[in-house]
Amino acid sequence: MTLEHVGDAAELYALGALDAGEAEAYEAHLRLCVNCAAQAAGAERDVALLASIEPRHEAPPELAKRIEGILRTDASGAQARSARFSWPAAAGLAAAFVAGLLPSLYFWDQNQTLRGASLAQSAAMARLAAAPHRMAVFRTAPGVAPAEVAYAPDGSWYVVMVRGASKTLTVAWMHDGERTMLGSAVPHGAVAMLYLPKSHRMNRLALMDGQTIVADAQLTW
Amino acid sequence: MDVVSKERTSDNALAAAFAAHQAWAFGEAYRRNASLLYSAAYNVLGNSEDAQDCVAEAMARLWRKPRAYSAARGDLRNFLAVCVRNEAISRRRRMSRLRHVEARLAAMPAEHAELAFDDPIERDRVRRALFELPAQQREALALAFYDGKTHTEIAAELGQPLGTIKSRIKLGLRKLASALEPASRGEDRR
Repeated sequence: MTLEHVGDAAELYALGALDAGEAEAYEAHLRLCVNCAAQAAGAERDVALLASIEPRHEAPPELAKRIEGILRTDASGAQARSARFSWPAAAGLAAAFVAGLLPSLYFWDQNQTLRGASLAQSAAMARLAAAPHRMAVFRTAPGVAPAEVAYAPDGSWYVVMVRGASKTLTVAWMHDGERTMLGSAVPHGAVAMLYLPKSHRMNRLALMDGQTIVADAQLTW
Repeated sequence: MDVVSKERTSDNALAAAFAAHQAWAFGEAYRRNASLLYSAAYNVLGNSEDAQDCVAEAMARLWRKPRAYSAARGDLRNFLAVCVRNEAISRRRRMSRLRHVEARLAAMPAEHAELAFDDPIERDRVRRALFELPAQQREALALAFYDGKTHTEIAAELGQPLGTIKSRIKLGLRKLASALEPASRGEDRR
């Protein structure tokens, strides 16, 4: 199931109606196929909607502690496993990893990131084509690619675009002397885009390279 | 994000950190959706002890499987809810504690003093849309959703070919979502 598209299993998976083996194979496929992952996301949204009519119960406080414990235990377990590692074996393994596996993983990871960026770009373009919007231009530091933000007149969505971007930039909302990170504009082709569905009006956005603000835009309403 | 929650990490940033397998994001994702996830498990399993085991196991499994979630999977909240539900359904199958579909639908409470609902109007709208589905689609969808049966089990129970059942479930779910589309997929919906 990992090699062929399995989009027609999306609803069954989201409803929990696949057999255990089928569900496991489907999940493995979703980690490799962005098209089927998008279909699964749609089916999960529909099932979550159906689940919204179910009775709601408050989670017991002890469950939060239990989950924090799992995260802590696993993190310290990983450190302990790391400490027990045999150095000669580790050196050999590391050499093999660097020579063979690491480049593949790097390119696979890059591919996944670009596919995600491509999807985000498609969503943003659809929004720009279909809905009335306003534009604001970022004031950029020297050497930073030109950028602008398109936004809905009621503040319900924003699309940040960086033209000719060579690196990922973080988009931040500047307000009340604070900055709130909203997401990353990942380069895909000649442009980096970030689509932000929001429900309020933001007056000032910034682009950040690491911890440094490299561009700033004032939005008018 | 609104003025009240201005110091919170945005949902997008949280999803990105969750996809990057950062421990704080797992903790925060649970805290933000605790009631939803616990309810998803409780409503399938029917008791608090099993529901807590289920949520803890589902979150632990996601934590140990770093690439389970990516941006392509869409809304993190929906993803987590489905993961927990699926874990709950698997547990219930293992425990062989199945409930009857129509009884569950008929007994679905309109309101209950112990329960807190996100949006009663929206919930009633979903319930009405569910009952407006063609009977065969509603039956197959309900057997999957409420009784946690697999498509193979549903086909056997209803005496229909597997493809027919798959098709009824798919059409039923899509029709349900489509009936609810104007409000559920509006401009501001994330």
